[in-house]
Amino acid sequence: MTTLHAPEHSSPDASWEGGVSPFGVSWQKLMMWFFLVTDALLFAGFLASYGFVRLASPAWPDRSHVFSLPFIGFMTFVLITSSATMASAVGAAQRGNLALARKFVWLTALGGLVFLGCQAREWTGLIREGARLTSNPWGVSGFSAFFFMITGFHGTHVLIGVTILSILAARLGRGRSSAAGVELVGLYWHFVDLVWVFIFTCFYLI
Amino acid sequence: MHNPMRYRSYWISWSALLALTVVMLATETVPMYHTIALALLLVAMVVKATVITAWFMHLRFERAALVVSVVGATVLTAVVLFGLIVPDGMAVLRHTTQ
Repeated sequence: MTTLHAPEHSSPDASWEGGVSPFGVSWQKLMMWFFLVTDALLFAGFLASYGFVRLASPAWPDRSHVFSLPFIGFMTFVLITSSATMASAVGAAQRGNLALARKFVWLTALGGLVFLGCQAREWTGLIREGARLTSNPWGVSGFSAFFFMITGFHGTHVLIGVTILSILAARLGRGRSSAAGVELVGLYWHFVDLVWVFIFTCFYLI
Repeated sequence: MHNPMRYRSYWISWSALLALTVVMLATETVPMYHTIALALLLVAMVVKATVITAWFMHLRFERAALVVSVVGATVLTAVVLFGLIVPDGMAVLRHTTQ
């Protein structure tokens, strides 16, 4: 009868040193990160198709004539500020100050609402000028199609974020949410801000 | 969960993001070569994305395995996507304008 023995000196390269948690985060946080990666690829697809149409078009509307860039700059300022208040909410929750975290979460939700209000104003203005999904007064039909699709999907993310933030604030008030919960919502909200960085650059400025 | 960051760090990140946004908007008004403006916009975009992911999303405090998985997967796929699409777009443009 033969007996199997483990080798006495195994190579360090062959050993598994990740332990039971190779990423060093909770499964909830890991799943949130994986969700954000897939969501990022959705927006990457949108922006890549926008890039294709933009490159393939001999002409493209002058964005500074279509959009009010100072207004878009203000929207960006609001979203960046709401990201900072969200980060402060995470910091407060991690220090155990859930009451302060709740205040920062409400401020973040308020920032999201202001952003949505600005977006509604921008959409209304462009629709009144004749912009539709299939046509617009600026000549290139794809321009308004991409505008409504990309900013619409982003706006939907903001709306979902505001809803989740409101639920989180309510749960914090009843003592039913933890610092880990605030961190998960924070990751989502920062992602919304991150996506806007790319939309702001690629669609409004380049 | 890692140790909480100081509030000051968040507001320094916020200031940096705001300053970069102002620089990006200035490319529309300050006269400069298109190529320089484009390079400035792309660099500012990448720096802003890095600040948000590293500081606001705390990715700089996470294990390398998570950072590589998240950033590596996203950047690689996006680069392949854009890398395959750009030549096609240029070819269509050449065909249209001929």
